[in-house]
Amino acid sequence: MSGFIARRLLQGVVLLCLVATIVFFLGRLTGNPVDMILLEDASAEDRAALIATLGLDGPLYEQFFIFIGNALQGDLGTSIRMRQPAADAFFSRLPNTLAVIPWALLLAMSVGIPLGVLAALNRGTFIDRMVGTVAVLGVATPSFWLGVLLIFVFSVELGWLPSGRMGGPSHYVLPVITLSAFLVAGFTRLVRSSMLEVMDSEYVKLARIKGLSEFVVVWKHCLRNALIPVLSLWGVFIGNLITGAIVTETVFAWPGVGRLTYEAVIFRDFPLLQATIILKAVLILSINLMVDILYAYVDPRIRLT
Amino acid sequence: MKTRLPLKNWLLASSLVVLGFMPAMAQNQTGTLIFAVESLGGQTLDPILEGRPGNATYQAVMYDSLAGFDFAKGGVGPGVAERWVLSDDGLNWTFHIRPGQKFHNNDPLTAHDVKFSLERQMAPNSLAAAAAVMRRTIKSMDVIDDLTLRVNTVSPQIGLPAGLSRAVAPEGAIMPKDYLEKVGEEEFRRKPVGSGPWRFVRSVPGDRIEFEAVSYPHWRGTPHFKNLHLLLVPEESTRVAMVRTGEAAIASIGPEAMLSASRSGLEVLAVPGTMQAMYQFYGTYRPEFKNSPVNNARVRQALSLAIDRQQIIDHIMNGRASMPFPLATFGYTEYLTHERWEKWAKEAFRYDPVMAKKILAEEGYPNGFELNFANTALPGTQFMVDIGTAIADMWTKVGVRVKLRHYEWGSFAPLLRGDQAPLVGGGSMYRTAGRPDVPWRYNSALNPEGVGERLLGDATTCEETCKEFLQVHRALSAERDVAKRTALTDRMVELIAGTWLAVPIIEGMGYYAINTRRVGQFDAIPGRHELGDVFERIPRAEQKPWKK
Repeated sequence: MSGFIARRLLQGVVLLCLVATIVFFLGRLTGNPVDMILLEDASAEDRAALIATLGLDGPLYEQFFIFIGNALQGDLGTSIRMRQPAADAFFSRLPNTLAVIPWALLLAMSVGIPLGVLAALNRGTFIDRMVGTVAVLGVATPSFWLGVLLIFVFSVELGWLPSGRMGGPSHYVLPVITLSAFLVAGFTRLVRSSMLEVMDSEYVKLARIKGLSEFVVVWKHCLRNALIPVLSLWGVFIGNLITGAIVTETVFAWPGVGRLTYEAVIFRDFPLLQATIILKAVLILSINLMVDILYAYVDPRIRLT
Repeated sequence: MKTRLPLKNWLLASSLVVLGFMPAMAQNQTGTLIFAVESLGGQTLDPILEGRPGNATYQAVMYDSLAGFDFAKGGVGPGVAERWVLSDDGLNWTFHIRPGQKFHNNDPLTAHDVKFSLERQMAPNSLAAAAAVMRRTIKSMDVIDDLTLRVNTVSPQIGLPAGLSRAVAPEGAIMPKDYLEKVGEEEFRRKPVGSGPWRFVRSVPGDRIEFEAVSYPHWRGTPHFKNLHLLLVPEESTRVAMVRTGEAAIASIGPEAMLSASRSGLEVLAVPGTMQAMYQFYGTYRPEFKNSPVNNARVRQALSLAIDRQQIIDHIMNGRASMPFPLATFGYTEYLTHERWEKWAKEAFRYDPVMAKKILAEEGYPNGFELNFANTALPGTQFMVDIGTAIADMWTKVGVRVKLRHYEWGSFAPLLRGDQAPLVGGGSMYRTAGRPDVPWRYNSALNPEGVGERLLGDATTCEETCKEFLQVHRALSAERDVAKRTALTDRMVELIAGTWLAVPIIEGMGYYAINTRRVGQFDAIPGRHELGDVFERIPRAEQKPWKK
């Protein structure tokens, strides 16, 4: 097991180095924060002075090595716009993003898993097709559109829920539904196919021959085993939720890391952009590592491959 | 028999009257004014770290500016300084500070604070947009007494007071010297202190900034509400929804949301003269474009005649925009013969596709020509992209084959620097913010020695018009006589209008959706999109209902 974890950690470090390099150079290809700050009539000297103030002077490779050197010491730079450590800005917003993720996952699983089982049990029937349609709709519906629609119906027309912003429990309802819509579809399709595979297996036939009730066969024996592949997708889904929160956070004015990243891109705040992408990558890699370890624990065959 | 009260008795009596009113005034401030806005910029309350829009939206709330606004017609008016005088040799400005001002920590606001603030704005670590310009033009500052400051400049700077007014730029924001020196920059950024009609309460990053009204009379107006919350709500439809549900009283919107907002019963406030949507051509003077159609002023005029501005006003701006004045001029522009230019614009900016085709034919392009055009929009002005697309379509109708390319603003801005390679020989959309001072904008667009757009020429090529522009602009920068200054401004506008290099399309407005059950009727400042200097004058709904 320790060898398995060491391999995964090493892969993670390599991946992080790649992410850091790509985000550093790609960010700089898209423009310069100086152009967003300086007045139009600024002279070449004014521009040079501001570039120096922001630490953007010097050759690119030199800036890169300074950035990597500082990053290795835990310093991801200072946000150009906010003039605060970029990592601090990220961690001050991260709890807001993480606050909705468990609820979105919970909702997605409580709806997606039963729907997947239902579809598998009624393979080829009208119910199966209906569930399939729901799954396709969940994947195909753009979250910004769904979010705006939900606000219009439940906030503006019915007046039941707030339109947005972080607050009490009622503020979570619409963002959680919006975030989970995509995941419901994912869980449904995965559980369906996994269930169909399991239901054809020998031990399920044996359980039925033994005279166990259909309820026990389906919900205890089939579903437990069908959920193993679902576990492996948790890491991917949580990653999707963290990186894909930009749209939901924008629509619902939710002050999370998604919007922070978007603002960093728009204003060419390189240190903040680098910090948010790298820290998100660390977060996703850690979650995936945990899921891998859990998966290897649940299914020992994984450790051997 | 007449009895004369000694001066100190008058002062005592007046103080008692003021003290008697103060609790009543504080009692009269109730409720929370909630404003939803698409961006809070860097959400930093330190004026040296924020640009113009952020400053005008949320820093203006708590900081006063050295020069302020003319609230009635727009442009520059009294601020922290109630008046300012230029010396005979034009090399220094004397600012006379309004007496009796204080910061939120009760420190008096004096000329020492003003000097300190300006020096801080121009310091090397300042991110203020005009910091470098201030360093170049301001030689030194002398505090004459507590209420008088002299600013010495390296050359005559007629536009200096305007540059230190929020009507133009954020660099005039006044900060408390003693407090800042005592607590240091970091603490000041956590607990900022200003002298405006609202004091800082707290800032929740990415979410909101909260202010509380001062309870004493303020020269900008004493707030009617007790609290002011500025909410960051990036999505426009969410902002409109929040105003409809009453979660916010006012929200900034774009022209595309105006119809839905007014149909749903909201009041829509349009602030006149906040910007010009325009297009301009680059590098036409360069030798390689000598025979290019866009190097021909008549061809460029034909392109303007092919634009149906009224269609754009009606269909993209939903009727809430107006025909423009010439480049960067507005109804509130200083030192300009407005009637002349209004008349000129009406004729020059007419829609005349027949004439456009005729001119193109006369100039040797009966079948049109190919034109590279970059479409872009500054953050918050998404409608600019629609306008760019519309004019490209209108040009197509007179035979011009437009190769339209779309750029996000952050990617477009760097193209204006250096050799402007992707832009030269073609055009782009652009925007001019509503400002009362014309020379500033003309300098940034046309100065061949600058690093701006350099539309007339560059360091190596500066022909007749370019040379005359430089001459007029320099004369304007030093001219103190109002009549001569107006004549010079008119000449500069005339010179550039005749080139058809930078052509206004429409004069835009700033738009707000308002829940009339939450706030009473108010007017914004003409030409000033942001409401940072307006909140204190917004009444509560019961104080002044909206007239329908």
